[in-house]
Amino acid sequence: MACTVEQQFLKEGHNIIAYLQNIAVLFCINGILALTLNFIMGYAGIFSLAHAIFFGVGAYATAYIALNFSDSLLLCLLASAMISAVLSMALALPALRVRGEYFVAASLGLQVIGVTIFSEWKSVTGGLGGMIGIPRPNLFGYVFNNDTAFLALALVILLLVLGITALLVRGSFGRSLMAIRDSESAAQTYGKHVNAVKTLSVAVSAGLAGVAGSLYAFYMSFINPESFMLEMSILLMAMVIIGGTGTLFGPIVGAALLMSLPAALTYLPFLPPSELGTIQQIIYGLAMVLLMMFRPGGLVGGRTKGKAA
Amino acid sequence: MLFAQLLANGLQTGALYALVAAGFSLIFGMTRIFHAAHGATFTIAGFIFYECYVVLGWAWPLAALASAAAAGLFGVLLDRWVYAVIQRHEGSFFTVFVASFGAAIVVQNVISIVFGRGMVTVSTPLSKSLEIIPGLFIAPIAGAVLASAIVSFALLQWLLTRTNLGIALRALGENPALIEVYGLTPRRLSQYVFLIGSVLVVPAAILTAATSGLNPSMGNHVMLISIAATIVGGVGSLKGAAVAGLLLGLAENLCLAFIDPQWSEAVTFVILFLFILFRPGGVYGRATVS
Amino acid sequence: MTTATASTSANTEANATPAKHAPQEILLEIRAVNKNFGGLQAISDVTMDLPAGVITTLVGPNGAGKTTLFNLITGHLVPTSGTVHWLGKPLKGFEPWQIARMGIARTFQDLRLFNQMTVEENIMTVMERSSWLWQGGKEAAESRVTEILEETQLSEKRNERAVDLAYAERKFLSLARIMASEAKLWLLDEPASGLDPRSFERFVTLLRHYAKRGITICIIEHNLDIVIQLSDRVAFLDQGKLLAQGSSQDILKDPHLAAIYFGDRS
Repeated sequence: MACTVEQQFLKEGHNIIAYLQNIAVLFCINGILALTLNFIMGYAGIFSLAHAIFFGVGAYATAYIALNFSDSLLLCLLASAMISAVLSMALALPALRVRGEYFVAASLGLQVIGVTIFSEWKSVTGGLGGMIGIPRPNLFGYVFNNDTAFLALALVILLLVLGITALLVRGSFGRSLMAIRDSESAAQTYGKHVNAVKTLSVAVSAGLAGVAGSLYAFYMSFINPESFMLEMSILLMAMVIIGGTGTLFGPIVGAALLMSLPAALTYLPFLPPSELGTIQQIIYGLAMVLLMMFRPGGLVGGRTKGKAA
Repeated sequence: MLFAQLLANGLQTGALYALVAAGFSLIFGMTRIFHAAHGATFTIAGFIFYECYVVLGWAWPLAALASAAAAGLFGVLLDRWVYAVIQRHEGSFFTVFVASFGAAIVVQNVISIVFGRGMVTVSTPLSKSLEIIPGLFIAPIAGAVLASAIVSFALLQWLLTRTNLGIALRALGENPALIEVYGLTPRRLSQYVFLIGSVLVVPAAILTAATSGLNPSMGNHVMLISIAATIVGGVGSLKGAAVAGLLLGLAENLCLAFIDPQWSEAVTFVILFLFILFRPGGVYGRATVS
Repeated sequence: MTTATASTSANTEANATPAKHAPQEILLEIRAVNKNFGGLQAISDVTMDLPAGVITTLVGPNGAGKTTLFNLITGHLVPTSGTVHWLGKPLKGFEPWQIARMGIARTFQDLRLFNQMTVEENIMTVMERSSWLWQGGKEAAESRVTEILEETQLSEKRNERAVDLAYAERKFLSLARIMASEAKLWLLDEPASGLDPRSFERFVTLLRHYAKRGITICIIEHNLDIVIQLSDRVAFLDQGKLLAQGSSQDILKDPHLAAIYFGDRS
């Protein structure tokens, strides 16, 4: 009846591994989101507060397809990426016309409108209740039911996104982006097709965020609008800023840091457990304030902001 | 009658929005600082009033004063200790905005620790609704809302046009360099701007406490409305922000007659989004912005 | 890694001398151009030619419309009437970035360098006209960058951010950008202002070098000493009208023009 000490030990070992695996998968997903947000924020100077919406679009697209048509990994990833990229034109439009505060406000508007659509378009998104029972993805017959296998998948995709980002950013496209960020009029004068570059960068950023959403839907098997609200966009922004805008690895550092925060906090005995979430928010709110005052480049970037990778 | 009720509610909400939006527009228009913590000022003002009036049992004028002091202090200190430091070494709009946002997050969460996450209300003798005509319920406090909004704007108008300080403040918005010629410092004036802009929200906060109640995250919605109203009304135009705030409050309530309540916030943002696409200068601003 | 394959991309042109045009061949033709802003006539009936290999200076009092004229050429402004032809092709209806790719480049009075990018990146990004990922002739491009850095004496500052450079260096970087653009027409807006005598000498040498290679250069300049040293031809603009054009001697010796320039309109 009672478990032997050995069995107990094994069970706890499994629990720890499961716990770590879980964090690792979420880290990969957040890492992809932070990388893609940094792509437009740090390199293009497009400060978007609507990133969570493209995450959400990808998630809902995959959920809908997997529940109604096919659980094929490739199909869902592609569909999520494409749909997010196409819908990102809604963000690209203001990006082409206005900068700075005006654009932030427009992206804020998009974020609010997006959540409302997620919550109200019940036939497609399941409304506030969300969508449940999303199956695990299927790659040529192999189904990723095993969590460790899924983690491997997530890591591969994270590395792919990192690779794509590095390629784009370190090459001529990245230089075009940064030129437009630093002086749009000069960039235009020297032959840069500003509108095309901005639109493309927004599309790439949103498309890859959609991929993250796809992974998320497959992994959690349940999604609802709560994961895609303004708080999420702000969290992502915090990751990018704290890690360092305009650096390649800054967003990953930021993602890792902000994700380990809740876990780290549980180890502090004097903190009331019910308030952990709140305290977490206070910490990264404070981090944002202090970093902007003393180290605007973030942890990886340093004193300077927007330094080329 | 539903329409009249919505109209009345809309006017009340709109008056409150107009006040808060005017505060934000004043600050943004004159200092070009995107003070995303303005919503936090509103939350602080409301909760301090609640603490003093309900918990500590002070008389309401005293509680209102305490609320104003807290709001003003918050605005000024944030400017002095955070924004000034940032502007001294780098001060790009985004850095300031992020710091402001961070401050807002901190405030919201500290308040939720101290006061809990739920809704608290302040009940006053004026809060009880009366049936003016069949189907139309208005509480006397609505009258207080409109009255205080009008008085506040009148005071603001007087301040900006008739006093030396006010004129200097308006010059700050146009040409900061000119200020120094007259022996004033932009930094000093900026603090006055934050003081005035922050105190403007106090009547709105107190009345919100008395009508719909307070919760720690109410600053968010108010902040969003302020941003929307400032841009739609035209950056740099106080009148624009106030009018836009009023209209947004009306729109938010009136559209309840046609669509689900969940869409009302989205409506505000569709309006904002369209303005940014087609006329970012807002109603009272120029047609295009650089 | 790759041997220089027969690539037709623009970058391999970098080491070849630019296509030579016959000296004095007219490359830019401005015909009866007018620009009206609401009620303000900024440019009135300006007709002007810019020949290859010639350094023309645009002078005139402030507000005369010199920068406006540049903007009309680069496509940032559209003429109310009149035409601008480049290499025989009308520029009407093209976007600034398209006109840039036709071989017209300009500098700005306030430089507008890509501040957060390094010197090398500033130059490279101009060389990479289109924004696509892969460009042929990477080695040729790199050697061209090195060449430009040497000509502008910025080799030491290759990896410095543009914002960290000294004033003269920033001016030269602005010039380096236009050199990298492989443009045939250079519109320079006060490029030499504030340069110390030695830097100025270097600057003049560089410009003459490129003019000799057939580049058409037009400069806006206020400093008359600079005008005398630099220009082959001078065009005098006042209140949007082209009052005179000719050799620098003729224009600068004209007392009537001098009076206008120094503010005395009789």
